[in-house]
Amino acid sequence: MTTPTGDDRAHLDRLLDAMTAAGVDALLLGHEDGIRWVTGADRLRLTGTRPFAPACVVVRATRTAHLLATSDAGLPAFLDVDHVYGPSWDLVTLATRVAAVPGLARARTVGTDGTDPTVEDVLAAFLPVATFVDAGPLLRGVRRRTSPADRAGIAAAIGVAQRGLATVVGTVAPGVTERRLSGAFAGRIGRLGATMPAFATATCVAGTAPRSFPGERTLAAGDLVTLRGGVVLDGWLGLVARTRAVGGATAGQVSAAEAALETLRLVTTACRPGRPVGSLRARPDVRAVDGLGTDLAPIGADDPLAVDDVCWIEVAVDGVLLGDVVHVGTDATVPLTGVPYGLG
Amino acid sequence: MAATADAPIDLDRLRRDRRERLVTEARAAGLDAVLLIGSAGVTYATGADTPTADVGVARPRRTVALVPTDGSLPHLWTWWPDGAPPDLPVDHVLPGLHLDDDHDAAALGTAVAERTGTGAVIGVDDRTWSLRRALVDLTTVDARPALGRARLVKTPDEIACIRRAQHLNERAIAEIGPLVAPGTTPAELTGAFLECCAGLGATGTVLDPVWQVVAPAVGAGPRSVTGDVAFPVAGGTDPFADGDLVWVDTGVEVHGYGSDYGTTWDVGAAHPRRAEQWSRLRAVLDAVTAAVRPGATGADLTRAARETEAGRRTPWLRHLYLAHGIGTAPAEAPLIGTDLGDEVDAATVLGPGTVLVLEPVIWDDGDGGVRCEEILLVTAGGCERLSAPGTPEAR
Repeated sequence: MTTPTGDDRAHLDRLLDAMTAAGVDALLLGHEDGIRWVTGADRLRLTGTRPFAPACVVVRATRTAHLLATSDAGLPAFLDVDHVYGPSWDLVTLATRVAAVPGLARARTVGTDGTDPTVEDVLAAFLPVATFVDAGPLLRGVRRRTSPADRAGIAAAIGVAQRGLATVVGTVAPGVTERRLSGAFAGRIGRLGATMPAFATATCVAGTAPRSFPGERTLAAGDLVTLRGGVVLDGWLGLVARTRAVGGATAGQVSAAEAALETLRLVTTACRPGRPVGSLRARPDVRAVDGLGTDLAPIGADDPLAVDDVCWIEVAVDGVLLGDVVHVGTDATVPLTGVPYGLG
Repeated sequence: MAATADAPIDLDRLRRDRRERLVTEARAAGLDAVLLIGSAGVTYATGADTPTADVGVARPRRTVALVPTDGSLPHLWTWWPDGAPPDLPVDHVLPGLHLDDDHDAAALGTAVAERTGTGAVIGVDDRTWSLRRALVDLTTVDARPALGRARLVKTPDEIACIRRAQHLNERAIAEIGPLVAPGTTPAELTGAFLECCAGLGATGTVLDPVWQVVAPAVGAGPRSVTGDVAFPVAGGTDPFADGDLVWVDTGVEVHGYGSDYGTTWDVGAAHPRRAEQWSRLRAVLDAVTAAVRPGATGADLTRAARETEAGRRTPWLRHLYLAHGIGTAPAEAPLIGTDLGDEVDAATVLGPGTVLVLEPVIWDDGDGGVRCEEILLVTAGGCERLSAPGTPEAR
């Protein structure tokens, strides 16, 4: 089984180095996508958001991580069962277990990725010398810069998303429902081992704006159908978006597809180090420019891009939706996605 | 006559009834407005559709709801405007916000202050750091107790949603169950399950489907820190083998409501003790079900379960619960049989309209064990089962 870090503690070490540079003694992390980036733990995936809870503790003094879990299942080799603290429905019991993590009680500056008021009050009582600070910028800074191994993980996830998309494309025909297309994607990616769709597959007949929810609508000749598929594989997100014409494209549809591709290429080319993302998002027809890794991370409008950023770009022109994952390389920005853009 | 899974769902009434419950509870708690950023709460308060998504996508693209308690309509900030409920006027549906971005969070803080006025008490269900900074001049309190009380009693349409989700989940399992055989992989099962659920009309999944091969003894691993079976854990990749004991846990969504389907499979021939374990599990379910009625406490349920298995292991996983509520969150109040202890269970009093998922476990270390789930609705006279029976001889 592979995970974002495999059995390699490279991410944890990068994070610890960043903590040292920022003067952060310990981290309490609650968001699962961040925890899987740091530790590589392969744990049950749930949909939706949950309030902050201290599910992972990283201590600079001991240079290790501890996880909230019931067992060592899915842990990387460098974290054994001694790095697990058990769950409790009682916040005081949980805080006692967290505070017992070696080295944490002496940590003065403790970063967290959430600020649930009740949880924070209880933790503060058990960690009396700690000052809680926003760990968001530190985490984003470390997670954004991808390594070749990270990009291989992202590429593998994209590979699965593309194979799912190929199955959907093979299913597109007049008379097929949007829902059946979504099912075809979910079925294929599940069989390929990517059990959690990164987001529910949107396979919709195009309207004036891209639709997000497939339904019972039946595809008819002359329709454009937008296909947006995402997967989580070994913790990494893989996304792709394309549009296909049902029963042959009209001249108008072909020119919309050309315009969409031109915009996508322009934005890709413009994703260069130093460029603030806001200027790219402001272009007409651009729907998203976000960071991508174990999450779809917002990049602030004034935040300049940097070498080894990986971004998700999505554009839409007259019902034609296109989306690629791109890597901001030293010499050029290149798509990691490799599916034909045409409508056929 | 008992309602069926095809019972009509009136989505307008569903939204109206839920909002009324939330506003009543929030007002009783002294709140002037509720600001929700968690997916379960936003779905409950507004009925806004959001694509089912892994947390890595759901967290950066939260849907946000501001629900005033003066009876006026909520405001919704969403990345998916086509998922906004039709009862919200267009000027109440606003573009999605990045709540980890100070600029976006400040815009939300300003909007909240403008709509509630200074001095208002705002209930919140969660905060990002950026949102905390943005709300610093407002009085905020934890909205979850009020939200929890509202969700404790389900409206008829909520019950219809749960029933439909559960029925859909049961049909999908019936369809893919025969695939479970030596040589099949969990991924193949997942693929078939997801495809089937989508075809049947599910709008998403609640969790990665769990088809966990469980060793017959806890000591055989994974290494548990609770003394109980480590469950649920993420799916393995090895093909199923003859003699495998597989614990199943799945959930799919219909209109934001999850199902919760649990069962146990033996791959190939069943272990010699399995039939006896299933009948003990049935006995626990029957005893607990008999105890479920308005006025009964959580402690009545745990007592019924323990007495049925007197002298043996506690018949549920102690890091989880004997029973939990279900709704727009996969596990919500009431939670019964948790490590919060008997006193908390004794203070949990059941009332009509509460939905409970029972998930008892029979475990004989060395011989493995069985688990399943059954969903009960507390009614005026006792309870009604919303799911199919969870044990094989009762099906």
